[in-house]
Amino acid sequence: MAVTRGPTTEVTPMRNAIHRARTSLEQRPLAAAVGGVAVFLLVLWTTPASWQTSTLRFAVPIALAAIGGIFAEKSGVINIGIEGLLIVSAFSAIVVVDWLGDGGATAGLPNLWWGMLIGVLVSVLFALLFAVVCLEFEADQIIAGLAVWLISLGLAPFISRILFDSPNTVNITRFENVTVPVLSEIPLVGYLLFDTEPQVYLMLAGAVAGWYLLSRTTFGRWVVASGENPKALDTAGVDVRKVRYAAVLLSGVFAGLGGAGFGLGTLGTFAGTGDTVINGRGFIAIATYLLANYHPIGALLGSFLFAGLNSMQDVLQAAGYAIPTELIRTIPHMTVIVVLVFVGRTRLPDAAGDHYESGDD
Amino acid sequence: MSEPGAGTTDGTGPTAAVETNTADLDVTNSDLAVHLDGITKRFPGVVANDDVDLRVERGTVHALLGENGAGKTTLMNVLYGLYQPDEGRVVVDGEERTFDSPRDAIDAGIGMIHQHFMLVDPMTVAENIALGNEPTKWFGMAVDRDRIDREIRDLCDRYGFEVDPDATVEDVSVGVQQRVEILKALFRGADVLILDEPTAVLTPQEVEGLYDVLEELTDQGKTIIFITHKLEEATHAADAITVLRDGVSVGTVDPDRTDREALAERMVGREVILEADSDPVETGDTVLSTRDVTVEDDRGVEVVSGIDLDVRAGEILGIAGVDGNGQAELIEAITGLRIPDEGTIDYAGDDITAWSRRRRIENGMAYIPEDRQERGLVMPFDLVENGVLGSQRSGRFASGGRIDWAGVRDHAEEIIETYDVRPPDATAAARSFSGGNQQKFIAGREFERDPSLVVATHPTRGVDIGSTEFIHDRLLELRREGVAVLLVSSKLDEIRSLSDRLAVMYEGEFIDVTDPDAVTEEELGLRMAGQRPDGEADRHPNPGESR
Repeated sequence: MAVTRGPTTEVTPMRNAIHRARTSLEQRPLAAAVGGVAVFLLVLWTTPASWQTSTLRFAVPIALAAIGGIFAEKSGVINIGIEGLLIVSAFSAIVVVDWLGDGGATAGLPNLWWGMLIGVLVSVLFALLFAVVCLEFEADQIIAGLAVWLISLGLAPFISRILFDSPNTVNITRFENVTVPVLSEIPLVGYLLFDTEPQVYLMLAGAVAGWYLLSRTTFGRWVVASGENPKALDTAGVDVRKVRYAAVLLSGVFAGLGGAGFGLGTLGTFAGTGDTVINGRGFIAIATYLLANYHPIGALLGSFLFAGLNSMQDVLQAAGYAIPTELIRTIPHMTVIVVLVFVGRTRLPDAAGDHYESGDD
Repeated sequence: MSEPGAGTTDGTGPTAAVETNTADLDVTNSDLAVHLDGITKRFPGVVANDDVDLRVERGTVHALLGENGAGKTTLMNVLYGLYQPDEGRVVVDGEERTFDSPRDAIDAGIGMIHQHFMLVDPMTVAENIALGNEPTKWFGMAVDRDRIDREIRDLCDRYGFEVDPDATVEDVSVGVQQRVEILKALFRGADVLILDEPTAVLTPQEVEGLYDVLEELTDQGKTIIFITHKLEEATHAADAITVLRDGVSVGTVDPDRTDREALAERMVGREVILEADSDPVETGDTVLSTRDVTVEDDRGVEVVSGIDLDVRAGEILGIAGVDGNGQAELIEAITGLRIPDEGTIDYAGDDITAWSRRRRIENGMAYIPEDRQERGLVMPFDLVENGVLGSQRSGRFASGGRIDWAGVRDHAEEIIETYDVRPPDATAAARSFSGGNQQKFIAGREFERDPSLVVATHPTRGVDIGSTEFIHDRLLELRREGVAVLLVSSKLDEIRSLSDRLAVMYEGEFIDVTDPDAVTEEELGLRMAGQRPDGEADRHPNPGESR
């Protein structure tokens, strides 16, 4: 039985500080944005270019998976299976390229792009499986999402053993840089944003497309309504189930682009040992979109933070600091926790995680 | 009360019209916007609508009157395409229609405003109004927001609404949210608007505003069907009233030629005493007494300032007042949901100020909470489980840490039968019942605890008149059995007719404690507004010593 006992909330200094930090974030979004850009420019100014490009390339799976996750969760389906989607898309993309021939082209399309296409397709198929289990059979979304991850975690190394006699695949030739003339000459950001690999362009375009789709189109509004109050959408004459299917499949497309892009562009191989080469990036993506409060552009920026920490960990290790590598590896994950504590304004969609059946009262 | 021949309610079917001084309307040959012809809708174990006819004339307000669970909402859900009828025809604008989904009904010009609004809280007013019907530009690539704003402005100008399209729905008042729902229907080109219990959530001022809106809408040719269980509303706002009882239509009447008692009788199926009657009863020992109780609310503001009260066995002490004058916090202090900052509470001779809620329940304190969905019931639980809440440790239902579910189930079914909870299904989730039926179940659970003190806050809020009468009778019966009753209500007629003594609470203090028959409704209203009775010098009158 709930007992209300008047104002008993003790305000500790720590909680007080967190509260102040939160409210300042909430009350001054403009200041926060300006501050963010300032920090961003400062980082650009003070860090080596190699670290920056590496950050962008490692942000690809996190950002794209996060944008995909936003659509699923905004529609009311929490898709923690995006980690699994990253694994299957990265793996299948490499397999397809190896099978069609490294460096060649098939039917006029470079094999790398065939790999991209098939990687996305496989990811969408897994997302479809997840959607059917959740929406038709009313499975618990968290359990189903975990299942998608665990199946992928077992399946990719297993097939790799059959094909390559090892949990790790062969190496393939990665995507090459695409340089946009003129724009790449822009000081400070030109070389970063306009002289880079295709998967980075996909990430940047994906973030803008995701933002546009969610905030400017009819579909975006239906997705939001489906996650907040599905009954309102239903009585407005829109089929909630269809909207949720579309949103989950879209999360498969985005995660597929992220996984395949990461495999083909950033790594050029797939390692299936341990947590595979994806190594929890799908879960960090979830933390990223929560941090960004479901804003696709915010998720892109957030992915820079986590990818940057990841690169920093490499830099620290390379510099030979006598810190145990295991400890350094925890930095991104520790940051996730700290950041989530300070960003208390994340508002989960009201109906996230709930099954909706039309006609039920 | 009614004319000779009244009250012969044998209930042999829909055609056995009740012979009362109500005038049945003949709308056979009029211009009908909606005609429901012989609608039957069955649910497992229940017939919700049995061969119901409804003829609604264009450009009128048509009330659908009936008790909780009479099948009003089901009938309208059929018209709105949420349910498909098992039998019967739906005719809109003279054309027979089959609605497979709300989409079809919307396309046929029907809009529904549900009792619980169907709005997406974090979205803006404009986004909600257009939801599911967004006009687009650039070949469907973008929502045409300018056009939405323009159309909303046009609608507002035409019907005299004032809403800010850019406001977020969760930030606007309930009255405005209702306007948004109406605009949503109009935006979709609705000609027929169905309103389900539209006044349930509104303040009296907002209700007046709603009546104006309805008038404006019908003036412009729209047709309104509104569902209600309140007689006053039906007679006040409607041009025609169709009464439903137990899923059967018992006729359509003209409100101007029908008196309230006759209408109530038609609705309930038997004669209804609209005012409860309380003969004085011999009072016993003091059961509950508070001394100088001071309570702060969640924000730390003192909202109850030194309340002294006594309730004796066999007595009903009523607390009247405008909501928000400290009644809720006082009751929470008495029931153990909030710790008073000062003062003592004695119950049956013990100082219970620091007692836990559990100990209070175990010692016979029954409590009908103000917010039934928040505190009275666990909404996803069925009635069997809800029926044992508060008694889950009592020897009657539990032994050795195990609950006797068969016994609990019998108990829940007893409550359902005695208190006429509809539909009579103990295994249905609490949330699937209408508000009035939820309230009846809570009242039943609390009254059947064998209490020595009943604390009842707004026990009949949202409850239909038949059940209100029943709950009143039960309260009086408990009082006759020597139970002490503390009643909080904002319904003046209820609190005046039931209470033996009446305290008026204003800004955390008792303004006056009086014999309810000694004051007029006007005097009571003035005291609720803070005006003390003449010659009253004592700032803290003590109801314990006023007798």
